[in-house]
Amino acid sequence: MSENDHSVVRAVLAGDKEAYGSLVRSHSSAVFRVAFRITGNDADAEEIVQETFLRGYQRLPSFQLRSGFGTWIYRIAVNCALNRMNQTGIDADYRLGDESDPEEKVVQVAASAAGPERLLLSREIGAAHAAAMQRLTPTERTAFALRHLEDRSTQEIGEILGIAPNAAKQAVFRAIQKLRRELAPLRGNA
Amino acid sequence: MKHPSEEQLIEMYYGESQSDLASHLRLCHECSTLYAQLQQDLADMKPAAVPARKAQYGEQVWQALRPSLPAYEKRQPRWQRFWNWQAAGLVAACAILIAAAFLGGRYWERHTSKSPAIAGNAASQAAAQRVMQVVLRDHLDRTERLLVALEHADPGDSVENTQLQTEARDLLASNRLYRTTASQAGDPALAGALDRLEGVLAEVANGPTALSSADLRRVREEMNTEGILFEIRVLRSRTPDSTGGADHNKGVSI
Repeated sequence: MSENDHSVVRAVLAGDKEAYGSLVRSHSSAVFRVAFRITGNDADAEEIVQETFLRGYQRLPSFQLRSGFGTWIYRIAVNCALNRMNQTGIDADYRLGDESDPEEKVVQVAASAAGPERLLLSREIGAAHAAAMQRLTPTERTAFALRHLEDRSTQEIGEILGIAPNAAKQAVFRAIQKLRRELAPLRGNA
Repeated sequence: MKHPSEEQLIEMYYGESQSDLASHLRLCHECSTLYAQLQQDLADMKPAAVPARKAQYGEQVWQALRPSLPAYEKRQPRWQRFWNWQAAGLVAACAILIAAAFLGGRYWERHTSKSPAIAGNAASQAAAQRVMQVVLRDHLDRTERLLVALEHADPGDSVENTQLQTEARDLLASNRLYRTTASQAGDPALAGALDRLEGVLAEVANGPTALSSADLRRVREEMNTEGILFEIRVLRSRTPDSTGGADHNKGVSI
């Protein structure tokens, strides 16, 4: 797949614009997933997907064929998400909802197959967690999303965000400390 | 016993701990409780389910994006660009080689064509010089005989004296020519000797028809014919023998 991506990149750079469509089709879901996990809502994630592939196309001549296109576009997506959060600011007044809606400040939480009480608690924790996530700084939120949700090592997070691994590790620690503090009141109900 | 910090417990949770905390947690109830709480908290931070995208999502993204993307201008593959550079370098190298060969050929042609001319000139100059040396040697021989005859001339022998005068006139004309040539050739020794000889020849040639013993004595004394004769002999020794293998570079340089 990686070799195929490389040949597609070469074709695009040779003037075959349509070939880029296959890269978009192959990687748009992964880009959407990370964008959603960082931003917490699908509208932003949708826009980030568009922006990511647009930037990717513009920067394609700088793409090094020795790296994977998936990894490369993933990094662009994370940075697009980070930039978007920096531009829009942080708003903590989110509440639980069936669908994520940034205009209504509603966040979507994971469904669970547990019983009604546990499900309710889980939804409550999820809402609190989503709200707490919004109160993190963009870097903390991104670092935490990459570490906890995307299972990236602190080394990789540092590379993606362009910061030192130790700084990435500290961002993850701060995010977890803040989230635990936010979720502490619910702990007694668990 | 040193208890691990929260950061160390978080590192352990994500499998990035560099110290052996597991054995500590087995022994320390307090830390194991904290770690269990951390595990519970992080487990509760479940990721929100990513909204499912339709199967055509990628196509939709592409179609939305497609109009805003300009096609890249066709560019040559790297190897071809590299080949072009190589080819350009090769062409330049060939051009330089051809130019060098052309200029070298011209230089060589000029050099080789010039050499025979120079050699020819040198040979002709050497030949001319050899001819000159032969003629000069002959002149000096005749002059020496004249001076010897003058030294031993009998004042009473009018025939002999007339022959001496005739010979002196003959030698005077050629001596003038040789003196001028020696002077122009930058040989002051020869030019000076010929100049002094010219004086004797002129004195004898322009003397009275019948040279008296007094005239002969005066010429010998005033003109120092003996000294001039010595000079002539020295000059003759400088002038290579036409029959011998004397060094052609020595002697007269005219």
